[in-house]
Amino acid sequence: MNSCYLGIDVGSVSTNFVLLDDNGIVLKKLYLRTQGEPIRILKEGLTEIRDFIGDRYSIAASGTTGSGRQLASLIVGADIVKNEITAHAVAALAVRPDTRTILEIGGQDSKIIIIRDGMVYDFAMNTVCAAGTGSFLDRQAARLNIPIEKFGGYALKSSNPVRIAGRCAVFAESDMIHKQQTGQCLEDIINGLCEALVRNYLNNLAKGKAIESPILFQGGVAANVGIVSAFERELKEKIIVPENYDVMGAVGAAILAREETEKKGYTIFHGFDIIKSKYEAVSFQCSHCSNCCEVVELLADSQVVARWGDRCGRWSNAKEQKRAAG
Amino acid sequence: MFKKIGIPRALLYYDYYPLWHTFFENVGAEIVLSDRTNNKILNDGVKYCINEACLPVKLFHGHIVNLIGKADCLFVPRMKSVARNEYICPKFTGLPDMIRSSVPNLPPIIDCEVNLRKSNAQLKEAFFEAGSFFTEDKARIWTAAQIAMEANDRYRKQVEGGRLPAQILENRQVPDNDGLRIAVIGHIYNLYDDYINRGLLGKLYENGARVFTPELIQGGIVDGNAAKLDKKVFWSFARRLMGAAMHFAEQKNVDGVIYLMSFGCGIDSFIAELCERRLRRQTDIPFYLIVLDEHSGEAGINTRLEAFIDMLKWRKRNDSDLSAHG
Repeated sequence: MNSCYLGIDVGSVSTNFVLLDDNGIVLKKLYLRTQGEPIRILKEGLTEIRDFIGDRYSIAASGTTGSGRQLASLIVGADIVKNEITAHAVAALAVRPDTRTILEIGGQDSKIIIIRDGMVYDFAMNTVCAAGTGSFLDRQAARLNIPIEKFGGYALKSSNPVRIAGRCAVFAESDMIHKQQTGQCLEDIINGLCEALVRNYLNNLAKGKAIESPILFQGGVAANVGIVSAFERELKEKIIVPENYDVMGAVGAAILAREETEKKGYTIFHGFDIIKSKYEAVSFQCSHCSNCCEVVELLADSQVVARWGDRCGRWSNAKEQKRAAG
Repeated sequence: MFKKIGIPRALLYYDYYPLWHTFFENVGAEIVLSDRTNNKILNDGVKYCINEACLPVKLFHGHIVNLIGKADCLFVPRMKSVARNEYICPKFTGLPDMIRSSVPNLPPIIDCEVNLRKSNAQLKEAFFEAGSFFTEDKARIWTAAQIAMEANDRYRKQVEGGRLPAQILENRQVPDNDGLRIAVIGHIYNLYDDYINRGLLGKLYENGARVFTPELIQGGIVDGNAAKLDKKVFWSFARRLMGAAMHFAEQKNVDGVIYLMSFGCGIDSFIAELCERRLRRQTDIPFYLIVLDEHSGEAGINTRLEAFIDMLKWRKRNDSDLSAHG
């Protein structure tokens, strides 16, 4: 049986699964909407992965990334839990070892990663504002009654883009409505929105950073041809959208997991039986001190697997002691 | 005459508590310190303070509320200037007024003015004013002031000798790490209040890092570096941060620099930028800006911190081991 490596990226909008073979080729990828239910979606994804591999492959390593990486790692038994920046950089370098810039726009985060000599040299993530991320585009597409998949196509048909204020999602929306009321055509407004998003991204995130080719564009928003073209116009450079742009975080997690298990010699992947277990996250407010921390408890078949969210560690440490003792 | 004086564990507490404590103790006052920042203090601060203020000023309001009913009077000096020809943030000057107009049911407030812009002589007046609430004996006040100044000098020497204010004032344990050398630049009340910065220093220690803060650098070195700027930075605390950043830029003795800024801080909005430019132009040292706000989720700060540490480790290992991804 051949080995394969599982990478899972639990993001705010999508949860992605990737299986890599021994040569680093993507055997299978899944892009599922998280829908605010990471545990259910994780199980769904794992079921699909299990059915796909059957008895042809065995999972030799698993890694998680994304904002839900801790939760996912506890459920699947991850050999490595990595932040999205490192995961995206590793994946990009596997596709193009000469990568110098990575633009990544996901559901609620956007990032720029500057690579020099094959390693992360500098990076930035959006700070207090989510304007210009995937969820904003999603919302606008829904408001305009256009499927998000076709959103970018409309932008390409524009001949005369209108200027939309992209500083803030709320302002951008009222600006778009205003432009609609004055009778501007939809294609121009959508293109204006793409340009606003790109302008905002470059002003906020890329401020002062040298964007050099090859430039890879990753994350769900890279599917939007309107945004890709707006980036190319603004940067006057070619933008490369890698084949697996939408699951690059998961690819990175799989690569890192493989490296990790090759170093230590075994995997802690829990296997697919966990799909049958009933996982449940419950939260309660600790009343021990005036911090009133919201503690989250992860239960597997009514057994506490982990706790987190407390500042002092009385809950999370208690669990760890129990684990160490048992 | 008062007996009990309440001192908020916030803002300049981290700079002047040894001085204040020694002085009030020696004029016969009993000192009540507010609790360490907790959820209730944050909520009260946000509730009572004007909305436009920065998070540290809001927290100060919360600490005031925490002291109500525990002391006969509260100490909120009107801090205008702590050095010749220099100022501090205008919010500190207006602090007694903000507190009086925003927080109900206050005990009397001792708001002696401290303004050393022209000369240190004014300090004497401040001591006499503050002391007069506890004793009529002027000689006793003056002796207390002398002892307090000595305590202040000893405290500065201890800090410059390598002990963090949080170690001295809050008994914080600092491990003897010899891993990454990371400079953390920011205002004292952001650096040493674990609640406000989500345990940033602790997280760095867990990663084996040694942490360097502006307070650990000798005053003379900070002055010398800050004097190299084309124009004098006339805010005392900003000058300390700038001088420290220039020291790290010149010595190149740290692996990375993190600037910790609170959202809405007018001074940091451009001092952070100046520090970043200085470091990026003169050195290759990675720089990351973390903006603190009222967010209670830690995922954002954890991801950024993890990615930053990964990047530093990757860079360090790159010379000898090409496959390391941190």
